[in-house]
Amino acid sequence: MASEPVAAAPALAPAAAALGRGRARSRAAWRRRLTILAFLSPWLVGFTIFFGYPLVMTAYLSFTSYDLLSPPRWIGLDNYRYLLSEDVDVWPAVRNTLWIIAIGVPLQVLFAFGVAAMLTRARAGVGFFRTIFYLPALVPPVAATLGFVYILNPSTGPINTVLDRLGIQGPLWFNDPAWAKPSLVLLGMWGIGATMIIFLAALLDVPQHLYESAELDGASALQRLRWVTVPLVSPVLLFAVVLGVIQGLQYFTQAYVAANVAAGAASQAGGSSVLEQGYPEGSTLFYPILLYYHGFRYFSMGYASAMAVLLLAVAFTFTAIVIRQSRRWVHYQGAVR
Amino acid sequence: MRRLVMALAVLAGLVIAAASLAATSSPKAEELEVWVGWSAGHELVEFKKVVSEYDAKNKNVDIKVVGGIVDDKIFAALRSGNVPDVVSSFQSNNVGIFCPSGGWIDLGSYLKRDKINVNIFPAASRYYTQYKGTRCALPLLADTFGFYYNKALFKRAGLTRPPKTFAELSAYAKKLTVKKSDGSLDVVGYNPNALFYHGGAGISTYGTLIGATYFDKNGKSNLSRDAWSRLLRWQKSLIDYYGYDKLVRWQTGAGDEFSASHAFERGKLAMMLDGEWRVAFLKNEHPELKYGTAPMPVDPAHKSAYGSGYVNGTIIGIPKGADHEEEAWKLVKYLTTNDHALAKFSNGIRNVPSTRSSSKSPELIPDKNFSTFLKIFTHPKSATIPITPIGLDHLQTFSNFVAKWNAGDVDDLRAGLQEVDKTIDSKIKQKG
Amino acid sequence: MRRRRFLIAVADHALLIALAVAFLLPVVFIVLTSLMTNDQALSSNLWPAPFRWSNYTDVFSSSPLWRWAMNSFIYASLATIGLLLSSIPIAYAFSRLRWRGRDAVFLVVLIALMLPPQVTVVPLYVMWAKLGLVGTLWPLIIPNWLGDAFAIFLLRQFFLTIPEEYLDAARVDGCGELRILTTVVLRMAKPAIAAVALFSVLYTWNDFFLPLLYVSENPDNWVTSIGLAQFRNLHQVQWNLTMAATVLVMLPVIVVFFLAQKAFVEGVTLTGVKG
Repeated sequence: MASEPVAAAPALAPAAAALGRGRARSRAAWRRRLTILAFLSPWLVGFTIFFGYPLVMTAYLSFTSYDLLSPPRWIGLDNYRYLLSEDVDVWPAVRNTLWIIAIGVPLQVLFAFGVAAMLTRARAGVGFFRTIFYLPALVPPVAATLGFVYILNPSTGPINTVLDRLGIQGPLWFNDPAWAKPSLVLLGMWGIGATMIIFLAALLDVPQHLYESAELDGASALQRLRWVTVPLVSPVLLFAVVLGVIQGLQYFTQAYVAANVAAGAASQAGGSSVLEQGYPEGSTLFYPILLYYHGFRYFSMGYASAMAVLLLAVAFTFTAIVIRQSRRWVHYQGAVR
Repeated sequence: MRRLVMALAVLAGLVIAAASLAATSSPKAEELEVWVGWSAGHELVEFKKVVSEYDAKNKNVDIKVVGGIVDDKIFAALRSGNVPDVVSSFQSNNVGIFCPSGGWIDLGSYLKRDKINVNIFPAASRYYTQYKGTRCALPLLADTFGFYYNKALFKRAGLTRPPKTFAELSAYAKKLTVKKSDGSLDVVGYNPNALFYHGGAGISTYGTLIGATYFDKNGKSNLSRDAWSRLLRWQKSLIDYYGYDKLVRWQTGAGDEFSASHAFERGKLAMMLDGEWRVAFLKNEHPELKYGTAPMPVDPAHKSAYGSGYVNGTIIGIPKGADHEEEAWKLVKYLTTNDHALAKFSNGIRNVPSTRSSSKSPELIPDKNFSTFLKIFTHPKSATIPITPIGLDHLQTFSNFVAKWNAGDVDDLRAGLQEVDKTIDSKIKQKG
Repeated sequence: MRRRRFLIAVADHALLIALAVAFLLPVVFIVLTSLMTNDQALSSNLWPAPFRWSNYTDVFSSSPLWRWAMNSFIYASLATIGLLLSSIPIAYAFSRLRWRGRDAVFLVVLIALMLPPQVTVVPLYVMWAKLGLVGTLWPLIIPNWLGDAFAIFLLRQFFLTIPEEYLDAARVDGCGELRILTTVVLRMAKPAIAAVALFSVLYTWNDFFLPLLYVSENPDNWVTSIGLAQFRNLHQVQWNLTMAATVLVMLPVIVVFFLAQKAFVEGVTLTGVKG
């Protein structure tokens, strides 16, 4: 792998020597390029097949009517027209997804932050508490959802039974349109273990002397939080928020499972019994679930593709905006960007 | 050494994967694979019994039955080309997609060749096994909906005969309802929420009872102009009697529809509208329950509809690309037209035999409760739901609306139904 | 003053304990239900009487849980091995090799990370269907052998923290980049690699959407997440057995977590702080 000794050129004329050096260098450069290409090749192949190709195909299919059994039929902008002006199912789905992002994400981030903050103040048993808070995040989402639906069953579930013994009539949880999404947020909050640990690490990373000097300057606890903690933890906050929003845009599993199970419709998951979409009353119909229905239940693959393109546009725009805005308020403590 | 261990681990993994891949690849040559939707307890067992009789008589085929198939799987198989030889579905409406696309093959030539007259099937079953003239399926037993009532609870409430109209039904329901000390529902007389239980067929189970149509002569959605508003108002009045929230609470504790903890089977629901299969379930799971059957009560303005019921059924066909088409057809022909096979299967799962001759077969085990459904099935006003190019999407749209109406979230019923009509029309137009 | 600090400490701990109880409560209820009879599970009883330990064996005899676990294991292990083998060199190329447009291309990698899977799902499904692989685990496994955006991102961030001197020393010794990667970098990046491996195992073990799409039509190849969701179907909802199956599905991950707690926490920390 060693390059040819450039030192073998002393007998030649300077020009020839330069040429020899140049050729050797370009050979080495070629070898370097090949190495880089070799290292990157899986990604290049993967990106083309699993990112480039599907994006192009999705874009193409969005202009067609395609039921997957007959060949796609070109219909131009018709899917988009219907999607943006006539489809009555889409906007409630969009609202649901926006709700879970606008309310679910901040709640979960704040909760994770709060729990982590409390852990930093604890003296005894930090490892023990940390384990307990992280454990639910390890539970498979389907299992966790099944568990929660069972626990929050309005008539036979343990939570309402306990509330009943305390004299409170528990809500209908997953069976009440006003409570279904909050129940899903509760499920999400139960599983914030990973985010919480990241915040914990970031909080512990804040140099203690900054707090001390702030306290000496007369800053209250709240002011210390605002001016010391938050800025120094901001990269992690940004990370958690961005991740949360991206997950919100893809939110599928928990809502799909919870709706089917709570409706009692899941006697056969994937069967098309005509009950409610997004039980109860459409409150758990999120955009990705509607996309799935259109593509894999109503056999409108073309339309599903149009929905997918819209989703991609939103995800991309959001990420670009956040990254751009983040330069203003995120403070990187000397880390390489 | 470490590298060696790693390499071995990778190799082991690959071997396992290859083995699993091999295990799931193509079936043996002489094997006929049959996909059916039945899965619950006895139903799949009974189907397999009928098939094994055929299997024993036909040594050249070896039949493998796969149960629990839902339509998602059928569509996935059709797309991937990885199809069984015979396929069957509970969703007859999907013929609107299977037939025109050729996903299930056109059986017309086979029927002609073997001289089978499709009039052996009743009109409703003929309707839901074809689309626009292409017949790509045949009916394999049928389902019809009727009225079940708990005789013991009736006796306790002093009721002697089943109700015949919605008004009577409401009165009975209120008499039979029992509340717990805290005001929550213990026994519900009748649950008019069509989206709960009702075999998953939802609001369409009430169609014939109000003489309703879904589309008018021009193919436009008709829900706002038809008798549906009367039905919905009646249902809502009974729901409001219980209190919607209380009813939902009761529903969440009512037990899964296809389990032995079904509310009617446990005596927690005094009357219900359900399919004829419940007779077999009751016999297997709660033989001690004293119950009776009758045609479902009807809208007082449509008294002549009494005796009719919603009809649908299992359809069976041959997917495109099946390996052994001729043998598959022979099996399909046997299952759908042979009196003995139909009678045997009907006895087993207590579904209605789908040909006229088999419904009169001496082999059918007489059962007072079951014979109600045989009569409902052949009633001239019994009907099924229209088949559309958007599959069940029109019912889905309607059901979403009914859910909101039941919960009291709709102010103007007429306007709401008109919106539903408009949506359904635009969806059909969009599908082209 | 000391008393005040003591009281505050007690309050903090009390709050923590209350939270811990709230976090554990769902798990406790799930376990309790898994030990009830079906009728009890349907009623509002909170405590099983008697304790039906046999539910756990019933789960195995009444459903192919072993098979599902096997399939999940195959998916998780093959996917993770492939992910590591491909992502490590890629991450190295994005962090320690200098080439034109490197950072711009890395941004493209990040975009792939942000893509909701529903966006690419339709054409990919058609592609796999045409290849005849729908119904098998291959559509789930193969993409991991061509690099995973999250793993690449995480590994790159970590590789960036390795001081250049180590790499230069190896280069001067005449090592090619591949050797540098396998000898110097791998050894120094063990925690990051362990973390990536653990995340991959966790993710694939819990994956529901992709298996639902590709494998649900072939019950032989079901993984635990699908099996669990379908469990109600096979068992006409016996909640007690369903909860027992839930506990069993949770166990392997909890065991792995305890064994690898340190790597987990370090790995999770790496993601956030350097991210």
